[in-house]
Amino acid sequence: MKEISELNFPDDLKYAGNHEWSKLDNDEVTIGICDYAQDQLGDVVFVELPQVGDTFDKGQEFGTVESVKAVSELFIPLSGEVTGVNENLEDTPELVNNEPYTGGWMIKIKPADVSEMDGLMMKDAYLDMLKG
Amino acid sequence: MENSPCLYVELPLTGYREAWKLQQEIVRLKSEGLLKPDVILVLEHPPVYTLGRNGGLENLCVSKALLEKEAIDLVQVERGGDITYHGPGQLVAYPLMDIQRARLSVTDLVSALEEIMLKTAAAFDIEAGRNPLNRGVWIGAAKLGSIGIAIRKGISFHGMALNVNLDLTHFTWINPCGLQKVSMTSLKETAGQTIPMPAVRQAIKQNIETVLNIQLEQLGPEALDLRMRS
Repeated sequence: MKEISELNFPDDLKYAGNHEWSKLDNDEVTIGICDYAQDQLGDVVFVELPQVGDTFDKGQEFGTVESVKAVSELFIPLSGEVTGVNENLEDTPELVNNEPYTGGWMIKIKPADVSEMDGLMMKDAYLDMLKG
Repeated sequence: MENSPCLYVELPLTGYREAWKLQQEIVRLKSEGLLKPDVILVLEHPPVYTLGRNGGLENLCVSKALLEKEAIDLVQVERGGDITYHGPGQLVAYPLMDIQRARLSVTDLVSALEEIMLKTAAAFDIEAGRNPLNRGVWIGAAKLGSIGIAIRKGISFHGMALNVNLDLTHFTWINPCGLQKVSMTSLKETAGQTIPMPAVRQAIKQNIETVLNIQLEQLGPEALDLRMRS
């Protein structure tokens, strides 16, 4: 497992306690898992995602990531309706490891309440949480 | 807090669904901060087949009707891995640990569970090894111990299963772990004699302490229940 200082956390994302990142673009929020989470999981072999049109309340499980012999549950950082899922992850789940913030994005949602973004952490607060 | 001992609880033969419920409850308490110490449950199950989250019935080689006739339950659970069998004579350990606090990656935990089973086999002069293609522990091409874990909010659950003295017949009803033509073995089959379960329990406890570098506080099931309510 890498040291936290070796991991990459972009400044323009918001982070959740369960290690998901969120990025607001116009009316849509893109969600994935951060560099810390992918490093902790190891090689991702399968990603299970919801379908477009599914709706979730903040904190609900929206999918899972399977690394070798281990399934980790994913929790949605804010409420909303799924407007897109990254279908590339079906055949190339390793994108989650290799490009967690770009090619490894997981879902896009139309947030029920954009102000929920304010409850998520900026990079510095998230790093403080990781360092305990 | 970092140095608080991990609770180590040996349960009697426990039905799969009952132990599964107990694991889920401990994970919930831990993720809500209501139970601080990590917990390791060690037990045997009555006969049961379990399927991993992404496993399908294609690796069950007998009909569900036969399972019903034999009164063997089939349970789909949230762990990784495919289909497996648990039964009396197989020692199962479920580490319910805050892996973020322990600074363990998921891969580290899987490797540590393998190491614990390898050292436990070695305590009975049985040399088992890893297989680069498949996780778990092996004696040649036969599988001695299996791993399947789940992570919920940073807490691990499910775990490892080491074949000690169990009847291996039920494994022939499946392609274990989704692997075709894989045979299963046990400490008993390898050693050519029964290995006493209490000795294996003692060895696994010692190896859990050594490999995970943690201090264990052994509790009875009633004491665990009290800790979960307090």
